[in-house]
Amino acid sequence: MYKLLTFIIMLLIIMGFQDQNKPDYNPMFFSMTNEWKEIALDEPVFEFVVKSLDTTYDTQIKHQVRLLSNSEGAPRLFFSNIETSVCADGECKLANIKVYWNLLGNYVGYGMSPELPLTKFEHDHFEKEDYAKLHQLLLDDNSILKRRKMSDLIDQVPVSPSNIDSKDLDGISGATITEVKESVVKGGLYSCYTLWHIIHGEVQEKMKRYLESITSDTLNHYFLYTPYKDYQMYALKQLQKTEFKKHSIQIINIFKTTDALTKAYILKKIPSDVLSEQSITEQFYNEFPLVDINSRTLLIHRLKSANPNATEILSKYLDSMTRNQLRLYLKYLSDNPEHLNNTSKTNLIKASENKRFTYGFLIKVFFKNY
Amino acid sequence: MYFIGIAQDILVEAESFIDKGGWVVDPQFVEQMGSPYLMAHGMGVPVANAVTKVNFNKKGKYHVWARSKNWVPGNWDAPGQFKIAVNGKTLKTTLGVTSGWTWDYVGKVNINSTDVEIQLSDLTGFNGRCDAIYFSQSQKLPTEAETNLASWRKTKLGETTIPEQQKEYDLVITGGGLAGCAAAISAAEQGLNVALIHDRPVLGGNASEEVRVHTLGIYGKFERILKMIDTKHYPNGSYKAKYDQEKRDRNVKSFKNIDLFLNWRAYDAKSENNSIKYVDARNTSTGERIRFTAPRFVDSTGDGWIGFWAGAEFSYGRESSSKYGEASDEWGELWSPEEPDDIVMGSSVLWQNEKTNEAHKFPELAWAKDIAKEHKAIAGEWYWEFSRNDLHQIHDAEEIRDHMLRAIYGSFANAKKVEKNKNYKLQWVSYLVGKRESRRLLGDHVYNFNDVKNHTKFKDAVVEESRAIDVHYQRNLKDSEEPDFLSEALFYKTEKYYIPYRSLYSKNITNLFMAGRNFSCSHIGLGGPRVMLTTGQMGAAVGLAAVICKKYDVNPREVYTKHLEEYLNLIEKQQ
Repeated sequence: MYKLLTFIIMLLIIMGFQDQNKPDYNPMFFSMTNEWKEIALDEPVFEFVVKSLDTTYDTQIKHQVRLLSNSEGAPRLFFSNIETSVCADGECKLANIKVYWNLLGNYVGYGMSPELPLTKFEHDHFEKEDYAKLHQLLLDDNSILKRRKMSDLIDQVPVSPSNIDSKDLDGISGATITEVKESVVKGGLYSCYTLWHIIHGEVQEKMKRYLESITSDTLNHYFLYTPYKDYQMYALKQLQKTEFKKHSIQIINIFKTTDALTKAYILKKIPSDVLSEQSITEQFYNEFPLVDINSRTLLIHRLKSANPNATEILSKYLDSMTRNQLRLYLKYLSDNPEHLNNTSKTNLIKASENKRFTYGFLIKVFFKNY
Repeated sequence: MYFIGIAQDILVEAESFIDKGGWVVDPQFVEQMGSPYLMAHGMGVPVANAVTKVNFNKKGKYHVWARSKNWVPGNWDAPGQFKIAVNGKTLKTTLGVTSGWTWDYVGKVNINSTDVEIQLSDLTGFNGRCDAIYFSQSQKLPTEAETNLASWRKTKLGETTIPEQQKEYDLVITGGGLAGCAAAISAAEQGLNVALIHDRPVLGGNASEEVRVHTLGIYGKFERILKMIDTKHYPNGSYKAKYDQEKRDRNVKSFKNIDLFLNWRAYDAKSENNSIKYVDARNTSTGERIRFTAPRFVDSTGDGWIGFWAGAEFSYGRESSSKYGEASDEWGELWSPEEPDDIVMGSSVLWQNEKTNEAHKFPELAWAKDIAKEHKAIAGEWYWEFSRNDLHQIHDAEEIRDHMLRAIYGSFANAKKVEKNKNYKLQWVSYLVGKRESRRLLGDHVYNFNDVKNHTKFKDAVVEESRAIDVHYQRNLKDSEEPDFLSEALFYKTEKYYIPYRSLYSKNITNLFMAGRNFSCSHIGLGGPRVMLTTGQMGAAVGLAAVICKKYDVNPREVYTKHLEEYLNLIEKQQ
C-alpha cells in the first residue's frame, strides 16, 4: 500500500511537470540568442517515449514536446520537460532537465529545477562547471556516446576504487575510456549518456517530421535571415536557384560569416546569372584571401560563370593561392586570354618577380607559353 | 648498380646506392616526380650517410648536379638539407634548398681514379631528399634533363622500350596489401602460378609495420586465409604491427607457386582490344625491369594504377546524392553533396612516441608551426588525416604526406613545451601515406549506399560485412578553429551487407579484376568495406574467380554469367 502510494505521488509529480500550461522558460544554457524570452504561446505537439537504459528497471515514460511560439504565433523552439531515472548498477536517481531544441530538432539549451540537481558517481551533485560541460556535450550531435553502448564506455579491466581517484570513476565497474573522458562530466558518465541519447534520440526525428508539417515560405524566410548556421543551411537547401537573386544580399552575408561547408554549398549552387552580376562577383571574389582554402578553389572553379572582373580581383591575391589553385587560375587565363587585362598582367608579373612568392616560377612558365 | 656511364657523363640514381645508411627508399611518388628517391627520415636526428661506388670510364674534372627539393619552401631554413661528398671530399653546396624537384649545381670535382665513392650526408634529420646525381665534363646541364626528364633519364640509363626480362604467370597481382596477399593465397592454393608485385620490402600495405593500421571488418567466407595475413587489434601506430608482419610475410612466402616481387613497382600496363597484355615493373632500387604477362590480372594497387594505365573506366570524388540515391537527411552535404565534387576521404600518416627515463629536447620548427599552429599531441591516430579539394590523393600525394609530417613535427614540438611531456621522444613516424580513397575502378555493378541499406542479397554475393559505413570529413569544414589535418567520422550503423562479385572486375577491361579500395563502388559505398578484412575478402574472392577463369578459359565476367554456381561452391569450401 505504501509503495503504491509512493508510486502514485511520483506519477503525479511527473504529470504535474508536464501539465504546466506555461512553464517559466529560463534556460541555464542557451546557444541561440534570446528566443526563449519572446515566447508567448505554448502548445503540446506530440509525445515521445523515454526508455530507461537500465535493464533492472525497464521503464518507459511518455513525455510531451511543446512548440513554443512568439506573440505573433511564429514557431521558435521545441521544449520538453524531461524526467528520467539515471541508473548505475541498479541504483537509480531521478533526473529532471528542461530541454530546448530549435525548429530543426537540434539541441540548443537546457534548464534545471534547483531542487532536482543532476548527480554523478555516488550521487554527488553536479558542480557548476559540470553543467557547462554537459551543455557542450549535448551540443555535439556526433558525440562518441552516439555509437557506443554503455558497456563499451567502460574500460575492460576493472579498476579497484581504492587505487584511483574516485573522480576518475564512473560507477563501480571500471574507468571511462580515455576518448570518452574528454567529452563527459567526470564521474557523470551515466547521466551524460542517458541524457545525450534522450535528447538526440527518437524525439529529433519527430521534430523533423513536425517541421515538415508546418513548413512555409515565412518560416524559410525566417531561417534564411537568422544568424544561425544550421538554419541558414536548411534555408539554402530549400531555396530554389531562381530565388537566389532575390536574396543575394543575405546570401553574400551568409557567405562572409558562415563555415566552410556552407560556403562551399553556396558556391556550388549559386546560378551563373546571379554570380555574373558585377557587384555580386566583386563581393564574392573580394573575400578570396579571407575564406578557407576549399572555398578559394571553388571560387577559381566558378570563374567561368563570374563577371570577367573576377580575374582581375584574383590577380591581387595570387599569394593566397596554393600551387594547384595558381595552376588552375593560370589555366583559366590560358583558355580565356580575353579576360587577362593590363592590371592583371602587371599583378602577375609582380608576383613572378617576388622572391618570397614560392610559386612565381609557374607564372614565368605561363608567360613563356602565352 | 643503377647507373650507366656514357662518354663523359654519369647519371647515378640515389635509390641505387649500395649502402643506404639511414636513408630510406621512397618510391611512392614515381608517377609524379619521375623516380624513387632517397630520403633522410630521421625524425629530427641526422641519419647515417648513404654510400655508393661508381665506375668512371674517364678521369678528369667533372661538374656535379643533384636533383633534390626543398619540401617546405618559405621564409625559414629549409628542413631537409644535405650535402654530397665525392671520394671523401664534401662539396660546399647545401642541397634540399630549392623549391620543387630541380637540378641544383653542386660544384666541380676532380676524378683521379675510375672507382669513385659518393656519399649523401644528411644535415638535419628532417626528410631531406635526393633523386639523382649527375656528373658531366660539360659545364652545362643538358636542357633535356630539365625539359624532358623521363626521356633523358631513359637515354642516360640506356633503357630499351621493352624490359630486359619477361615472365609469364596464370595470374599477375599488383599491390601486396591485404587484398593482393589474399588474392595470391587463394589462387595459389588452387594451383595457379601467381606473381605478386609489391613496391615495398614488406607485405600488407596499410596493415604493414610501415603504416601500422590494424585490420578491421569480418572474415566472411575466408577466415582461414585472412588469418594468415591479418593483424591483432592493437592501437593504430603500435610497434606490435611487426609481429603480424612476420606472420604475414612468412605465410605468403611459404607458397611455392607465389613468386613474390618485393620492392618492385609496376609502371605500365598495356591493353589491346580492351584486354591487358602485360604489366611492366621496375625494381625500386636497382632499376631492373620485368614484363609480366598473364591471361588475367588483379589490380590491388589501391590507386587503381593497372586499370588506369590499361584504360579502365574509373571514378574519383563524391557523386551527387541523386546519382545513386545516397542522400542523408542527418548529415547532408557532409555525407553526399547535391552537386558532385572532388572531395574524398583523406590520407593518414601514423606516428608514435616513446616515454623514457630522461628528458629529450625537440626543436621549435617554424616550417612545421605554420601547419600545426597551437595544436599539441604526443601521438597520432586514425583521425590524423588530410584531404583538401585542391589536392588529388594520387597526383599530390607527396604534398599530402609532407603536410602530415609538418603537422606531426609541429604538434609534437608544441607538446614538448609542456613539462609533463619532457621525457617523451618520437619513436616512430611513418613516411608512407596511408590512403583511404582514391581511384575507384568501375565494374558491372557499382556498390553504393542502397546496397548497404537494403542488405541486398546479390546472387553473386562473395564478400560480406557488418561494419558501419564510416565516411570522414575534415573538421575544419565545420569549425575553422580546428587544425586542417584532423578529421571526424560519420557512421551509418547497419546489419550485415553483401558485395557482389560484379563489383570486383572491370566493366570495360575484359581480363582485369580489382580488389581493395579501388573496387567498383561509390564514395559512400566505399565507406563500410574499405577496411582491410573486407578488402582481404575481395582479394580472396577474385583469386578463386581466377581459378574458374583458368579452368574454363573464360574472362572474369563469364564466371558470373556461366559458372557462378561452381564459383560460389568453391568459395563455400574455403571455410
